[in-house]
Amino acid sequence: MKIWNQVSKSIILVALVGTTGMASIASAHEADCPYCKLPVVQNTEDQDNEVVLKAGNKRIEYRCLYCVIKDQKRYKGDLVIYSPSEKVGEPVILKRTSGKWTAPEGAVFVNAFKKHPDCATFSRAFSNVAAFDAYIAKNPVEGAKALTLEQFLAEVAKN
Amino acid sequence: MIGPLKLEAHMRKTLFVALAFMSLAFAGAQDHAGGHQPHSTKLPAMPPDMPRWISSPGSDHLFYKAGPYNWDIERIPAFARDMYGTGVGHAMAYEALVTGQQRNLETGVFEKINRVLQNPPRVPVDEAAISPTFVRKFGYLEKVFDWAHILHFQTIDVLMHPGWSDAQKEAEVDRLWTFYSGQPYAITGLPMNMEYLDSFPFSGRFRTNYPKVNGLFWGYHWLQTVNYDMLFRVPVKDQAPQYEVLGSQYRATELYRIRDFMPMTAELSPRFAKRFPQIANTFDNLHMLHDNVNDILAADELSDRQKREQVKIAIYRVLASSHKSHEPGSGEDVPGTLHDHRHPPSTPGMGYMKGMEDDIMYMSGMGWMDMSACGHCSIPLPDGPMWGATVTADGWTMMVRCLMCARDMAAETPGRAIIRAATEDPSRILVLISDEEGNLTSNIPGVVFLEEFGEHPECSTWSRAFTSKAAFDQFIKDHPDLAEAKPLELSAWAQINRGTPDTYRKLDRANPYRPESATGGTR
Repeated sequence: MKIWNQVSKSIILVALVGTTGMASIASAHEADCPYCKLPVVQNTEDQDNEVVLKAGNKRIEYRCLYCVIKDQKRYKGDLVIYSPSEKVGEPVILKRTSGKWTAPEGAVFVNAFKKHPDCATFSRAFSNVAAFDAYIAKNPVEGAKALTLEQFLAEVAKN
Repeated sequence: MIGPLKLEAHMRKTLFVALAFMSLAFAGAQDHAGGHQPHSTKLPAMPPDMPRWISSPGSDHLFYKAGPYNWDIERIPAFARDMYGTGVGHAMAYEALVTGQQRNLETGVFEKINRVLQNPPRVPVDEAAISPTFVRKFGYLEKVFDWAHILHFQTIDVLMHPGWSDAQKEAEVDRLWTFYSGQPYAITGLPMNMEYLDSFPFSGRFRTNYPKVNGLFWGYHWLQTVNYDMLFRVPVKDQAPQYEVLGSQYRATELYRIRDFMPMTAELSPRFAKRFPQIANTFDNLHMLHDNVNDILAADELSDRQKREQVKIAIYRVLASSHKSHEPGSGEDVPGTLHDHRHPPSTPGMGYMKGMEDDIMYMSGMGWMDMSACGHCSIPLPDGPMWGATVTADGWTMMVRCLMCARDMAAETPGRAIIRAATEDPSRILVLISDEEGNLTSNIPGVVFLEEFGEHPECSTWSRAFTSKAAFDQFIKDHPDLAEAKPLELSAWAQINRGTPDTYRKLDRANPYRPESATGGTR
């Protein structure tokens, strides 16, 4: 009965919130990118955007690949990055094992943002070059090149 | 030349106009207009019932209530030093403001304060020695500050005292409140409308012109408010390990964070604020008095006389004596005014914040949240002895329904975290501390977890911590529907992650302090 009362309160609150023009219940915490402090761009139905880092028991979201690579020093152990790709629900998985990064064969990367607010759009991974080409055709940007993992890491390191 | 009759009429008209302006200005100070308050353009006027002690030249020195717990803050030396440092920082900034050094505030004065904060004093420092000009000019203000700072330190001392039960400590904190409230310099324990208190012509001046030093002030307020849940109903032996996390966070990050609004006690120590709402409100009202004074001193268009007057009026606004016969929760008929004492229904230890609607408020850097609901799954918080848990991470504290919500919320947050949770024994709180990679240590060596994943609205039943295997077994015996459940040890339980609950809801509204920005953004 108590649980039903609590659920009822949620339902009633949603209704009230709806009638006052609010979109939904205000409740939970969504952090900004731990590195650049900008909001993490949320996944949509058509495109994944959230970069997820698995470090030990932690699952931390970052705004883009550049940000998570830049921030990796704070983590001591092995890491896994689930990087949004051209396919919804099928991330490109990068692994740092004993300090060395690996990615799936054929994966390519872009790192072509000029201003940090554009990082979520232009610091990304793709499962193959064709996917990169299709993305850049839809999102043209000067200087976009399909980078290997080593090239991507070197670009991030020099900035 | 004006004849005698015309002169009398002229004087009467002048007096009438002056009285009319004074009434308008006083009405501005009382502000019965209601609703959201844009910055008013009229300076508040001196109220007719300003207490006489404000003009007394005596030092009226008061000191601690006698007790065996005094100075127990020294049991965590780093915490004691950081708290002593906050007094030095305040004093240095105030002295700079009253001696014409405003232009150095963000540079030389900031650097000086920062050096002290990173190397804080081993003993509490007499602020009058650091800010003699300020104390000479504003001695009446120092009486109010000092008296409230004593309440801060003594409540901490009690909660850190070894050998006393939680009941003994809470009874003594209640006595401290009575002791504090009995003096004329006491700040009210009623919730006050924070938007109203931040709505005067000079409001916001200090944080706009001196953001780095203001960041230090609000950083101190973070420390002064976050520490209470570290101590409240936590065994003395389990307090210091938490300060290792909080102290690092304070010195490395919170002192330099730029926020939209000052930290509130109930935001950072919700459990303490729930038990002692009057003390939580007093601390918030004190911190807002600091903000008002900062703003007044930074308002260059005010003369010295005007500044002294406005500081007195700011004190008047928050004194307990100014709010006699008013009750918490009252003020619906005078919203957004001096006597608006409404509070979120679930949180009597907090006044109304900008844009607040019932329990829904904007927390700087976190976005909109419902104070009565779990910060992770959005389901209302449970009542009773199984109160759920709190998570302190990345400078915030959130209440959650259950251990699973606590673990997963900490796991999705960068940096170290502290989880405090109810167990089956109301006198034993579980304290888990997480490192950067989510590896947990526990203050209860034999802690055992239950997690039989089911429907989220029931998570506080199937996600729990027990102080022993025997306690777990007894619970399972009392709940035959969980007969298949296996006890989980800490390391196994810590590796589980259920992700974002499907009940989670986020409100997509603008930051009320920066409507042009996104919902999150920097604090």
